[in-house]
Amino acid sequence: MVEPIYLFIILPVAAFLMGSLHQHLNRWQVFIFFTVLLFSFYLPIPWLIHLLKGGSTAQVFTAGFLPPISINLQIGIEEAFLMTIINLLGIMGAFYLLHHFRGTVYGPILYLVFIMGLNGIIMTRDLFNLFVFMEITSISLYSLITLSGSSENLTAGFKYIIASGIASILFLIGTIYLYYLTGTLNIDVMIASGYKIVGPAGSIALIMLLSAIIVELKQFPVNGWALDIYTASDPGIAAIIAGGSSSAMFFAAYKLLPLWSPSLSSIIAGIGIMTYVLMNLMGLKQVKANRLLGYSSIAQIGLLVGLSALLLHSTPVTGLTTIWIILGGLLINHLLAKAGLFWISGLIKGESLSSWSVLRKYPSLLFIFACLLMALAGLPPFPGFWVKWNIAMQLAQHKQFLWLGFIMLGTLLEAVYFFRWFGLIMKSELTTGIRVRISSLLPIFTGTFLMFFISLTMMNLLSGFNFNMLLPILIATLIFALKLIPGKLKALMTIFIIMFYFYFLLPELSGLYRLFAIIFFPLSALFMIAAMNKPGYRNGYFELLILIVLSLGNLLTSHTSLQFFYSWEVITVATYLIILRGVKRFDTALLYLVFSLAGALMILAGFSYSYAVTGSTFLGILGSSNSQITIYILLVGGFLIKTGAVGVHIWLPGAYAETEDDFSPIISAILSKTGILGLLLVLLLMGKSFAANTELNTILGWIGVLTAFLGALFAIFQEDLKYMLAYSSMGQVGYIVLALALYSHLGWTAALYLAFNHIFFKGILFLAAAGIIQRLGTRKMYEMGGLINRMPLSFLAVLISIIALSGVPPLSGFGSKWLLYNALLEKEWYLQAALAFFASTVAFLYCFRLIHSIFLGQEKTRFRQVKEASLWFLIPQYVLIALIMLISLFPNIIIEPIAQVMADFIPATLSWEGNTLMSSLGYWNGNVIMIITMGVFMIPLIGLLLRVRSMQKVKQFNIVYAAERPDKPETTHVAHNFFPHYQKALGFLVTPLVSKFWAAVSEWCHTIAGVLRNIYTGNGQTYALHIVFMVVLIYILAGV
Amino acid sequence: MREMAFLGFALVLLGFWAMLTRKNILRIIIGFTIIDSGIHLIIVNLGYLPGRTAPILEKGMRVGDLSKHFVDPIPSALVLTAIVIGLAVTALMLVYAVRIYERKRTLNIDKYRELKW
Amino acid sequence: MAKYFVIIILLILLFLIFWNLQKNTAPRNRLDLLSSRYIDQGPREVGSANLVTAVVVAYRGFDTLGEVIVLFLAATGVGFLMQKRQKAYPKSNPASEILRTGSDVLLPVIILTGTYIFLHGHLTPGGGFQGGVVIASGFLLQFLARPESRIKVRKLHFIESISGFFYVLSGLAGLILAGGFLDSRFLPLGKWGELISAGAIPLIYSFIGLKVGSELVGILNNLKGD
Repeated sequence: MVEPIYLFIILPVAAFLMGSLHQHLNRWQVFIFFTVLLFSFYLPIPWLIHLLKGGSTAQVFTAGFLPPISINLQIGIEEAFLMTIINLLGIMGAFYLLHHFRGTVYGPILYLVFIMGLNGIIMTRDLFNLFVFMEITSISLYSLITLSGSSENLTAGFKYIIASGIASILFLIGTIYLYYLTGTLNIDVMIASGYKIVGPAGSIALIMLLSAIIVELKQFPVNGWALDIYTASDPGIAAIIAGGSSSAMFFAAYKLLPLWSPSLSSIIAGIGIMTYVLMNLMGLKQVKANRLLGYSSIAQIGLLVGLSALLLHSTPVTGLTTIWIILGGLLINHLLAKAGLFWISGLIKGESLSSWSVLRKYPSLLFIFACLLMALAGLPPFPGFWVKWNIAMQLAQHKQFLWLGFIMLGTLLEAVYFFRWFGLIMKSELTTGIRVRISSLLPIFTGTFLMFFISLTMMNLLSGFNFNMLLPILIATLIFALKLIPGKLKALMTIFIIMFYFYFLLPELSGLYRLFAIIFFPLSALFMIAAMNKPGYRNGYFELLILIVLSLGNLLTSHTSLQFFYSWEVITVATYLIILRGVKRFDTALLYLVFSLAGALMILAGFSYSYAVTGSTFLGILGSSNSQITIYILLVGGFLIKTGAVGVHIWLPGAYAETEDDFSPIISAILSKTGILGLLLVLLLMGKSFAANTELNTILGWIGVLTAFLGALFAIFQEDLKYMLAYSSMGQVGYIVLALALYSHLGWTAALYLAFNHIFFKGILFLAAAGIIQRLGTRKMYEMGGLINRMPLSFLAVLISIIALSGVPPLSGFGSKWLLYNALLEKEWYLQAALAFFASTVAFLYCFRLIHSIFLGQEKTRFRQVKEASLWFLIPQYVLIALIMLISLFPNIIIEPIAQVMADFIPATLSWEGNTLMSSLGYWNGNVIMIITMGVFMIPLIGLLLRVRSMQKVKQFNIVYAAERPDKPETTHVAHNFFPHYQKALGFLVTPLVSKFWAAVSEWCHTIAGVLRNIYTGNGQTYALHIVFMVVLIYILAGV
Repeated sequence: MREMAFLGFALVLLGFWAMLTRKNILRIIIGFTIIDSGIHLIIVNLGYLPGRTAPILEKGMRVGDLSKHFVDPIPSALVLTAIVIGLAVTALMLVYAVRIYERKRTLNIDKYRELKW
Repeated sequence: MAKYFVIIILLILLFLIFWNLQKNTAPRNRLDLLSSRYIDQGPREVGSANLVTAVVVAYRGFDTLGEVIVLFLAATGVGFLMQKRQKAYPKSNPASEILRTGSDVLLPVIILTGTYIFLHGHLTPGGGFQGGVVIASGFLLQFLARPESRIKVRKLHFIESISGFFYVLSGLAGLILAGGFLDSRFLPLGKWGELISAGAIPLIYSFIGLKVGSELVGILNNLKGD
C-alpha cells in the first residue's frame, strides 16, 4: 500500500514540472498526465481492499508531529471508497476532456491540482486545511470553467467566484472563532471538545461554518450560481463538478456532522430535503438540457445532505452499515449517472431538451441514456433503486415519516421531468447535430457498465444475491442483443420462453399464486400469438414483453416485500417503455408512468411503515395491530392506482387504447390483474382479524362499484372503439375490486371468477378490435358499419364476448354476476348491489353499440373490399371462445379450484351438487341454463336470418338513405353520438372532473415552479444577497 | 485591542455593502478585498493577548515561560495563508474582469444576465 | 429602492450577528494548550526563533504546501485565462525619467531585501511569502517604468517550476529522512539564532520565496499584457 501522502507529492510535482517543461515534454505530457491520474486512482484501491477486509483506519501524519500539533490525514473505509470513485471519475473525465486539452498546458495542470484538491478535502482532518483544499479546488475550477472561452463561461464563472468568495469568508470567520473557543483546529479534537462550543458565540461560529458549507454544497436558495455553472461550462467540466467536487464537498460536510448542535442538524436536514423537493419542482419548467441536469444534480446532493443529517446525527455509525451503504450508493449512483449524462450532453450540439432526439439514431447511446435516467429516478436494476428502498426503510425506522413523504414527492417530480424528456426524445422530430468521438464514448460506456456492477454489489450487500431477480433482465437483454431476428421468430421465441418459464415456475407455486400464474403466463402467451401478424423486427417489443411476464412470475415467488417491490417496478418501467414504443405522443405513456410511480411510492411507503413496526420485510406479515390502518390505506391506495380506480384512472384510457393494437389485450386484460393481485395480497397479509372487519373495506367496495359504474358510463359515450374498450376494462376491474372488498369466500371466488372471465372476453374484444382496425385503418366506430358480411368470424367472436361481458345467460358472465350479487346480498350491501346492477345495464348499452355500429347497418363503400381479420388475431380469439364456452357449460372447472383456494383463507360457503353450484341464496347450473337460453335464442335468430335479405322500408327522416349529402357525413351517421338522450340524462356524471383536477395539479406545480425560480435572476449580486439572507435565516431558525 | 474585531467586522460589512450594491465589477472586487482585509484583522485580533509581544525569540529571552509573554502564533500563521488565498482569488477576479470587459464591453454586473432561471 | 432597503436590513441583521458573536467571546488571558506548546517547545523542536515561521513551515507545513499550490493555481489560471485574449490595448505613454531611473536604482535593492526577508524567515519577521512579494514589487516597479520591456517568461517559469519541485522534494526528504512529509528536521537544527539553523526552514523558505516571487511576477506580466 502506498502512503496516501504521495498523492500530495506526485501530483504537485507533476503539475509544477509540466508548467515549465512542456516544450520539452511534447507528447510525453499526455503520458505523464495520465500516469499521474492512474496513480491517484490506484492509490486508494489497496487501502479499500485492506479496510474492507477489516483493516483499521489509518492516519497519516505530516511534519513529523502527531495531531493535533500538526495536520493529519485519515484514510478509512469511507475515504478510500470515495477517493477510488472520484479518482476514477478523474481519469474518465480527463479522457473525455482530452481533445480540449490539446494545445494548452494549463488545462491539464489545473485538472491535476483539482483532483489533488478533492483528495485533500476527503482526507484532511484539520478544519483550516480543509479550507485550503476547498480553495484549491475552487480556484482550479474558476479557471477550468472558462475552458471553452465563451462569454457565458466568464459571466457564470464570475458569479461562482463571488458566491464561493463569500462562502470562504464565512468559513474563515467560523473557523477562527471555533479555534478561539476550542483551542484547536483538528476536527476530531474539536468534536471531542464540543462542550467548549457553547453560548451565542459558539452557535454563531457554527452557523458561519455551516452557511459556508451550504453554499459550497449548492443548496437552496444559495445555488443560482451553480445552475449557471452547470449550464455554461463545458460538459466535461460540469461532469467533474457534479460528480467530483459535489461529492467531495458532501464528504466534508459529512465529516463535520458531529459538530452541529441538534437544532443545526435539523436545519441541515430541512435545507437538504427542501433542496431536493424544490429543485426537482423547478426542474419541471426547465427546457435547457444542461440546466436541467444542473437542477437534478443539486437536488441529488440535497438529498444526500438531508439524509446524512437525518440518519447520522442521532445514531453514530461505524463500519459497513446499511445507512452507510445508502449514502455511498446514492453518491456513486449520482456521480456516475450525472457524469454520464453531462458527457452525453457534450456530444449533442443543441441545448434544448428536444435536440437530444438525435440519440434515436444511435440506439446504444439511447440505451445508455435511458439507463442513466432510470438510475437517477431510482428504478431497478440500478443502484438508485436499492438506495430508494433502503432510504424508505431507514427513515421509517427512524420515524421520519414527514421527511420520507417529502423525499417521495421529490422523487416523483424528478421522474416526471426525466421521463417527459425521454418521451420528448422518442417522439419529437429527429434532429441532426451530434459529434461522436471515441474518447467521449469510452467514459460514458465505462460509467454505465460500472453502474450495473455496483448495483449487483449493492443487491448483494443489502438483500442478498438473488439470481431470479436478474433473470428477466438478463433474458431480455440477451434477446435484445440478437438484433436481426425477424419479429415473427421473436414472437415464437417469446411464447416459448414464457411457457418454458411457466413450466419451471408452476411446481414452486401453490394455491392462489398458481391461479395468478395461469393468468400471467399461458394466457399472455396466448395473446401474443397476435403478434405473429406484424411484419418487421419490432426491436424492443418482445424483449419488454418477456421482461414484463417473467417479472410477473417473480412477483408471485417473492418472499420479501423488497423482491415484490423490485419486480413491481421492473414491470412498471417495462410497461411504460412498451407503451411509449407504440403511442404517437409521449404524454400518454408519461401519464401512465407518473401514476404508476406514485402508486409504487405509496406501496413503498406502506412496506416501509410495516418494516418500521415489525422490523422485517418478510411478506408473510404486514404491520402489527397498531399500525394496520395506515398500512392498509397506503398499500390499497397504491394498488388501486394500478387497477385504475375512479379518481386515479386518467392514465388508463390512453394507456390501454393508444398503445399498439396487439399490446392492448395484454395490458388491459392481464396487466390490470397485477393490481388485483396486490389488493388480494394486502387483504390476506394484513391479518384476518383486522382486514376482515375494517370499515375501510366498505370504502374500498364503494370505490370499486363507482369505478364499475363510471367506467361503463364513460364507455358508452366514446366514439373511438379502443377507448370504449379501455373504459369498459376500467369498469370491469371495478367489479373485481368490489368483490374483493367483500372479504367473504363468495366474494373472493366471484372476484377471481370475474377476473378470469374479464381476461377472456376483454381479450377477444381487443383482439377483434385489433383485427378490424388493421383492415379498416380507423378506430372511429361511426366510420365502420356493416362488417358482418366482411368479417363474420370477428362478428361471432365479438357477439360471444359481449354476451359474456354483459352477464346475461347463458355464458360465463352470468355466472360471475350471479356470484357477485349473491356475495353482495350475503354481506347486505344492497346499495352497492343496486349500483352494480345499474352499471351492468349501462354496460349493455356499449355492448349493443359494438355490434350495432361496427357490424350491422349499411356497409361503407370504402370498406367494400375489406377482408376478414388476420388469422393470427382469430386464433387466440377462438381459443378464448372455446374457453368461455367451456366454463359456461362446466362452471365447476374453474369455480371449484378458485373456491378451494379461497377456502384456505376463509371458510367456504359454496357447495356443489353435480354441476350445480349452491350458495346460501340459490343455485346455478351452467348446463341447464345454456340449453334453455340457447333454445330461447335460436328461434328469433332463425327468423332474423330469414328476413335479413328482404326489402326495407326507409323512414322519412333517415338521411342515410336520403339524397342529400351533408358536409360531414360521418357525424350524421346514426352511430355517431349514439346515445344523446343518455348523454342528457347522465352526461353530468362524465364531465371530466378528475382529469380537470389532475390537470390543475400539474398546472399548479408548473406555476409554483415558475414563480419560485424567479429568485434565480441571473445577477451575481442577487446570488450574493441570497447568501447573506440565508445566514440571517439560519441564525433566526437556530434561535441563538 | 478587542475593539479591533469590531473594526474588522465594520470592514466586512462595508465590503458587503460594496459587493451587494455597486454595479461595476471592479468595485465589487474591491468590496471583496475590503471584506478580506476585515477578516484578516479579525483573525489576527483573536490571537492577540493584552500586553504581549510577537512570538519571535530574541537573544536574552528565557526559554521556559515564553508562553506567558507571547501572543498566539497560530492565528498569525493562519492569516498568512488567508492572505495568500485572498490574493489568488483577487488576481483571478481581476483577470475575469479583464476578459469579461473584452467580451461584453461593459463592467456592469446587471448586464451579465444571459443565464437565469 | 426596495432592494437597497432589503440590503440595509440584511446587513444590519448581519451586523447584529457579528456583534453577538464578538460580544460573547470571553477575552482570554492565557494561551491554550496547543499554542503554549508551540511556543514552549518550538524553539527546541524546530530551532526557529520566529515561532510563526515554526508554525507555518513546520507544524502546519501541509497548509503551506496548499498555500503554495493556491498561488501556483492563481498564476496558472491567470495564464490560462489570458492566453485566450483577443486584442492588445494601445500602448501607454512612456514613463517619466524619474520613475525609470528610480526603478533601475531600486530594483537590485528590492531584490536583495526580498532575499534577505525569505532567508531570515526563521529569525526575524517575514519569510518566503513576504520575501517573494517584495521581489515581485521590484518587478512591478520595473513594469511601470518600462511598459515595453519583456521579461524572459521561460526562465521565469523555469525558476518557478524548479523551486516548486525542490520545495516538494525537501518535503519528501522530511518523509524519508525525518519524521514525516514536510518535516524540516532532516537537516541538523544547528545553533539557535544563526542564519544556517532551524533545519531545512531557510531552505524551504528560499524555495517558497523564489516560487512566490516568480509566480507573482508571472501574474503581473500576464496582466500587463503585450
